[in-house]
Amino acid sequence: MKRPSGVGGWLKIILPWLLLVILLLLPATHPSDNLIRLLFVTAVWTTTGLGWNLLGGMAGQVSFGFAVFFGLGAYTTALLMHAGHSPYFGFVGGAAIAILASFLIGLPTFRLRGPYFVIATIGVTEAVRVVMNNLDVTGGSSGYRITEDQAFSQNEHYYSAIAAVAVAVLVSTVIANSKFGLALRAIKQDEDAAADLGVNAFTSKLWVHAIAAGLTGIAGGIYARRAAFFYPGDVFAFSTGISILLMPVIGGIGTVWGPVLGGVIYGMVEEQISVKFPNLHLLIYGSLLIAIILLEPDGLMGLLRRLFRLLRRKREDSGSPNADQVLWGRGGVEGREL
Amino acid sequence: MDSVEYLDLLLKALLLAGVYAAMAVGMTVIYGVMKIVNLAHAGFLMMGAYFALELFQRFHVDPILGAIIALPVFFLFGMAVHWLLVRWLPKSDTPTLASLLLMFGFWLVLQNIAYLVWGNEDQSILTPLTLSSVQIGQISIPKVNLVVFAAAVFCMVVLQIVFHRSWFGRSMRALIQNPYAAQIVGVDDQKTARLTFGLGTAFAGFAGGLLGMLFSFSPDFGRPFLLRSFVIIVLGGLESVSGVALGAILLAILETFGINIALPVYWHGWSFHYLPPSYQQVIPFALLVVVLLILPKGLSSLFSRKWKAA
Repeated sequence: MKRPSGVGGWLKIILPWLLLVILLLLPATHPSDNLIRLLFVTAVWTTTGLGWNLLGGMAGQVSFGFAVFFGLGAYTTALLMHAGHSPYFGFVGGAAIAILASFLIGLPTFRLRGPYFVIATIGVTEAVRVVMNNLDVTGGSSGYRITEDQAFSQNEHYYSAIAAVAVAVLVSTVIANSKFGLALRAIKQDEDAAADLGVNAFTSKLWVHAIAAGLTGIAGGIYARRAAFFYPGDVFAFSTGISILLMPVIGGIGTVWGPVLGGVIYGMVEEQISVKFPNLHLLIYGSLLIAIILLEPDGLMGLLRRLFRLLRRKREDSGSPNADQVLWGRGGVEGREL
Repeated sequence: MDSVEYLDLLLKALLLAGVYAAMAVGMTVIYGVMKIVNLAHAGFLMMGAYFALELFQRFHVDPILGAIIALPVFFLFGMAVHWLLVRWLPKSDTPTLASLLLMFGFWLVLQNIAYLVWGNEDQSILTPLTLSSVQIGQISIPKVNLVVFAAAVFCMVVLQIVFHRSWFGRSMRALIQNPYAAQIVGVDDQKTARLTFGLGTAFAGFAGGLLGMLFSFSPDFGRPFLLRSFVIIVLGGLESVSGVALGAILLAILETFGINIALPVYWHGWSFHYLPPSYQQVIPFALLVVVLLILPKGLSSLFSRKWKAA
């Protein structure tokens, strides 16, 4: 890790810790239940978004199939809790099963590149949902109910979600600053060139997929325990996979804090706006997606970065380097025109 | 299973394949020319079904005629969508996440509009044709399947003629084969892209109308068919129209005969078990992944090169 320099550098280190302390102390101020619930939902979704971002943003492998890991995490946790284990053991179990699934999915599909990989992940989610709809162990399409002996504790759910999101941010930061992260970025820019330089693209992708799946599985478990009832059409839904990918895209793909920002926006839209206008939430997501893709492909982080540059009156050197690679499928060097 | 049953299923598969081909072809031309995986295809299919339903209920237009009327209407609609949204996407040789997400966003918007206008109940188009059937020996075929098949095949033939005989078709094929060379010899790529998007949308609307006659539909109608379209165009090699016909036939046969597929299962020794009917929906998705892995360039890569872009 680089040593921080200047006020901005120190601020970057202090702000996340400050945020964490505020979030940890928040329940002591007896806020409304609704706020805690909103933060819980946001934290769970942000964790999945951060997971997706490791694979999609850093390594540039766009997957529409993260609902599989979310759903597996939910079901594994539920089944383990039903067998009498502690929910925390359930979360770990959920992560383990999700990681296992990520290898099973990744081993064949990572031989595919670009759009072929994307399409394959869509096929995998749909197939898994049909199977889960028909599986007897989990009650099939009618869903699964978790019964817990202890009293419902809003704060316990809240803290487990905050812990998950903190772990996700930590993992993302560590990976972003490590040699592994460098290898992933090399894969994103040019897989063949990365391979020539000694990066084992296939195993790197497999491992980052596994880490991403583990984080998503934990989030699924935490979600399931609070929801207490869920069914395949919900946790394994295609739209769940889309929500997971929406957050990094909204916030800023390939950055650590982009998915967090996106997760906050998503949580607010999901819990506040779509409750007030239940008929319009697809329209809201759709328009948001269209607007971001066409106007600011680097998401809110890109917008913020541009704003800061404007404040400092520095010339913009490059528009949106991260989005250039992931979204447009090429490096920023070539420019936007054909 | 006796031979009559076999023939019955095979015939049903072929009839289904006609609609499948019409459904997937719009996606293929758009992918071929613009390298956009058009997720909004599902939305266009759904809108097509509702379009035929509205014409049928309000003006008592025969749904087959409705589906044909959908062709020009959706052509203009597609051109408008291209002009409004798609043309702002940067050009690329490979599909980009941006195009995928843009079209997905548009699909969500279409879906929401449909929920607002028509609600979320399942709708279906029932005509006198729906319940009557033609008897050939021991086999009975619903008339509606026959009519839908005929309409689909007719439009596919017209498309093939446009593709091979018109300036626009030739420009499209040129852009599919080599976008740079095509531009050098004077193909207006923006104009062709706009027309192609219109054409792809027109076929989606048309196929949506046909599918609406065979299946019941809701605003979420397009999704399973979107994935089937994927399977078909991947089987067909992503860019060729004749490949689409081939892929459609293969998928329809596998789906129709799916219940009769026996899988070897190890449970206290080897035995063969039939795939339970409820798992039948897995077939297209599993097929999609398997085909991508084994034949990433489609079935046509097994045969000669002349299948490509033809």
